Amino acid sequence: MQSKTRFVSLLLIALVVSFATYSAQASQAEDKSAQDQSKAEAKAASDIKSAPSDEGQLATVNNAKIPAYAKVYVAPMPGGFENYIIAGLRNKKVPLTVMVDRSKAEYEISGVSESEKAGWAKMLFIGSQQSNEQASIKVSDLKTGAIIFGYSVHKGNSVRGRQSAGEACAKHLKQVVID
Amino acid sequence: MSYRRSAAGIVITLMIIAVFGAQAKDAKNAPPSEKIPSGAKVFVAPIADGFDTFVKDAIAKKKVPVELVATRDQADYEITGAAESQKAGAAKKIIFGNWHSREEASITVSNIKSGEVVWAYSVHEEASTHGKRSSAEACAKHLKEAIESK
Repeated sequence: MQSKTRFVSLLLIALVVSFATYSAQASQAEDKSAQDQSKAEAKAASDIKSAPSDEGQLATVNNAKIPAYAKVYVAPMPGGFENYIIAGLRNKKVPLTVMVDRSKAEYEISGVSESEKAGWAKMLFIGSQQSNEQASIKVSDLKTGAIIFGYSVHKGNSVRGRQSAGEACAKHLKQVVID
Repeated sequence: MSYRRSAAGIVITLMIIAVFGAQAKDAKNAPPSEKIPSGAKVFVAPIADGFDTFVKDAIAKKKVPVELVATRDQADYEITGAAESQKAGAAKKIIFGNWHSREEASITVSNIKSGEVVWAYSVHEEASTHGKRSSAEACAKHLKEAIESK
């Protein structure tokens, strides 16, 4: 009888120990999977390249790239900002062929821009007569309609006004062009 | 024997197709080599605030080797652009002691036939001594350099 009780107690202890070990292993596995997931999320986030904070953010959708010397049409933008973008593309030596005719192009650059001149308060208190520029562009594939690149820029004190904003857009667009 | 020959023929044909296909793909996205030739007929499209007039004057003054035409149909190339001019306000005059205007302009030269943009330039002058004339002359000067750099 005593030996039977001893056997049952040993069996119970073994069961408790095995259960404790299993639960510890399960929690470790859970932690590991959570860590893997967070790493994967961090990696996905790192795929979206970020630009310096004063020059806005850019995002490439699905890591899409534009082939070198692809034909690009720059759609009209407020204040003729498309001209500054074209000049920026040339100045920054972006390997793209800009077309005037949309039907001959493979990609389209469209966007918005806003320019605000320095007021008297800015001149008086900050001593700056430089303008406040903001612009945002997107590049879309005309065949598929997919947007493959987006970038926005904001400059509180733009030394060269729209020219700076246009060149910033061009510089970051160059990152997604395969040379 | 004939089987080997036909197999070799197929392999060679496939290799030739692959090589020519790759070349054709490369040719599709070839870098634009076009430059504005000296003496090209150029039409200056209307630009905001009459900046096109300043551009025409500057082209003549800087002796840019192009021929200006009155209509787009006669031209090989077209100059389009945008310009903005802001006169010095009271704050700028009092605080900075600066009477000069702020000028911004950007021009684009495109081939009318191919529809390709062949040259572009933008200029910004925070205190332009001669206003629009300065920015137009800057555009003309750099256009001349681009034409003569061949």
